[in-house]
Amino acid sequence: MAGVRTTRPLPTDLPAAPAHVRRNQALLAAGAVALAVLFVITLVTMDLPPWSRVELGIKRNAMPLLRGLVRPDTQVFGLAWKSMVETFFMAILGTALGAVLAFPLSFLAAGNLLGGTRWALPGKGLLVAVRTFPEIVLAVIFVAAAGPGPTAGIMAMGIHSIGYLGKVFSDVIEGIDRGPMEAITAAGGNKLHAFLYAVVPQVLPEFLSNVLYRFEITLRAAAVLGMVGAGGIGLPLIQRLQFRRWAEVSMLLLVIVAFIIVVDAVSSRIRRRLV
Amino acid sequence: MSRISFENVEVVYKTGLKALKGVTLEIPEGQFVVVVGLSGAGKSTLIRTVNSLVVPSSGRVVVGDVDVTRARGAALRAARSDIGMIFQTFNLVKRSSVIRNVLAGRLGDLPAWRGVASAFPRADRAYAHDCLERVGIPEKAYVRADALSGGQQQRVGIARALAQRPSVMLADEPVASLDPPTSHAVMRDLKRIAREDGITTVVNLHFIDMAREYADRIVGMRDGLVVFDGTPAEASDDAFEEIYGRPIDDKDLRGA
Amino acid sequence: MLDAGLPRPPRAGAIKSWLTLAAVAALIGLALRQTNFNLPALFTGAYDFFRFFGRMAPDLTALPQIWGPLLQTIQIAYVATVIGSLIAVPLIFLASANTAVNPVTMWVARTLLTVLRSIPDLLWAAIFVAVLGLGALPGVVALTFFSVGVLAKLGSETVEAVDPGPLEALRAVGAGRNRTIVFAVIPQIAATMVSYILYVFEINVRASVVIGFVGAGGIGVLLQTYMGFFDYPGLGTLIVVVFVVVLAIDGFSVWARSRLI
Repeated sequence: MAGVRTTRPLPTDLPAAPAHVRRNQALLAAGAVALAVLFVITLVTMDLPPWSRVELGIKRNAMPLLRGLVRPDTQVFGLAWKSMVETFFMAILGTALGAVLAFPLSFLAAGNLLGGTRWALPGKGLLVAVRTFPEIVLAVIFVAAAGPGPTAGIMAMGIHSIGYLGKVFSDVIEGIDRGPMEAITAAGGNKLHAFLYAVVPQVLPEFLSNVLYRFEITLRAAAVLGMVGAGGIGLPLIQRLQFRRWAEVSMLLLVIVAFIIVVDAVSSRIRRRLV
Repeated sequence: MSRISFENVEVVYKTGLKALKGVTLEIPEGQFVVVVGLSGAGKSTLIRTVNSLVVPSSGRVVVGDVDVTRARGAALRAARSDIGMIFQTFNLVKRSSVIRNVLAGRLGDLPAWRGVASAFPRADRAYAHDCLERVGIPEKAYVRADALSGGQQQRVGIARALAQRPSVMLADEPVASLDPPTSHAVMRDLKRIAREDGITTVVNLHFIDMAREYADRIVGMRDGLVVFDGTPAEASDDAFEEIYGRPIDDKDLRGA
Repeated sequence: MLDAGLPRPPRAGAIKSWLTLAAVAALIGLALRQTNFNLPALFTGAYDFFRFFGRMAPDLTALPQIWGPLLQTIQIAYVATVIGSLIAVPLIFLASANTAVNPVTMWVARTLLTVLRSIPDLLWAAIFVAVLGLGALPGVVALTFFSVGVLAKLGSETVEAVDPGPLEALRAVGAGRNRTIVFAVIPQIAATMVSYILYVFEINVRASVVIGFVGAGGIGVLLQTYMGFFDYPGLGTLIVVVFVVVLAIDGFSVWARSRLI
């Protein structure tokens, strides 16, 4: 045994691990093996192109891509900036719309305030449905309904956001302390007083924090919804991607990433002060 | 079985605070030293210069024949594997089993790949169980560390240090979070093991009666300097008043 | 009266709140103008919108067409999650302050992860379709990059929040960085990390549903086909199927994560 220094006799017997430990180790090993086997099976059955075709694609595109990445085309900066600003405003409106619509819905979906769990289950169900409906399909539908442009994107993001914001809001509402409400009713206030002075101050900081977090996500969504015509930087981006104009793509990407990084950082700062 | 030498050790923190103002001490092999003093006197800093968790701003510390102050990288790790340490907050990995915590003590002596792969040789695993037995809790080997009582957790800490086969043991307020009967039990175990293996031991304590009961030698610190160095017999109440700079009271005694 | 005789709140706080409110209102107003938000068109479009939903009564004969792409969608999500998790783990430890190797690699790792996290999933897909062509492969690669970004951010926050005590103890034992990570960090974060990986799988499934829109495989391709051919009943069926599957996976994920804590 390494590092031995004294003359005390070394022990030779090793007590066996108890049954439950060995069983847990076996289960863990079996689980890992199962995941790995599943992984290999998935890869094999997945209809991936043969390596030769992949290699061809990489050779043809990877070098120009990398070259374009390190040399963004400054000429499209103006377009990139303008589109990204539009994207930014789209996200603001989409998030605001979602927040405004989610606010009343969340009180319905939360079981504890409007005096009944009657609405809670269908309310939550509706929120889940809205959350699961792919945002991009919503965007396509709104483009068909309201014409291409930011309005369609805003509506799609607004409706989709209701799903998340509604759920999060209702969780916050369900978690509030009823004490202040009782105190106000005991002091003679009516339900509106209780709401304004006991409920709203408790839930507002967390609501706002979640709205900001949702805004970070919505901004990312806004950047891509343009690909189906719903406004923002998505359309110029996908056009240039399809024509493989990598230097221009690079500039657009740069602007998008920079915007998102800044917004994320500012949003994190504010959220930390809020909660 | 290594001696410890402090040669004019000074520690100045980045904030400008002088934690140690020039400490020179010789601790011979196998001695059980208790360092006493108020919080902020420099006890923790002193003990951490021995395994270089705190690096002196000037002066040096020699353990055995290794200058730990100059050691870096692999040499430092080798030096540290020879020095066991137990902590006031035990510093066990709560979610791991007791035996895995003890085995961690072998990490300094084994090749890196064995540690990463948790491929401990049979001899090392047997030794870890033996260390647990020496601190009296062999049956707890496969229990999660945070399911143990405070006293038992500290014993695991001792077992972990023991597993290193150290020639020096450091203990930073090892019993401060334990109740009186448990702290005495832990100190007794520590002293017994140090004596059985001839390990040079340095313990920080702030209980006067415990210092007198367990130490071979008491070192008193105040404001970063050694103000007392003698046997428990010489450590009278007046001497402690000198060390603390104030009269002693009940809080300074552990009791039974 | 309710608040008679109460001390007035400090003026600074009230002013700040009103100012913020005004700023937000101004921002919204500006946004409305800059985007030419067309509310009237919306109301006329709303009628069309609800008509769409009416026409989307599910058509069960479309089901056989759906299973194949649906399976591919889940496969893409699974592969991307596995590979993404494997790649993310070393990056997480490089990027966390308490397990980093040195400040330079830490900074590089952090920057890389920030950029990865800032690119939306659909954008990743569009980029890789342009490089690798249509099909499931660009989808897998795209979601892998996406997964690394999301997982690494979550993981790094967890790693930086671990109890530093055991790490100090292992330094004192003489263990190097990697051994310290295995013995002192991983046991503290394992359960949380598995929980995050399940979460990433969840969002990968959702993402995988739509990346077909840009040609990256999965059920999104079918989605686009149905919309292109105005096959609303088929679209309805597809959406219901997607709904059920995502719900099932969400439910499984929530259950599994609750078992972990």
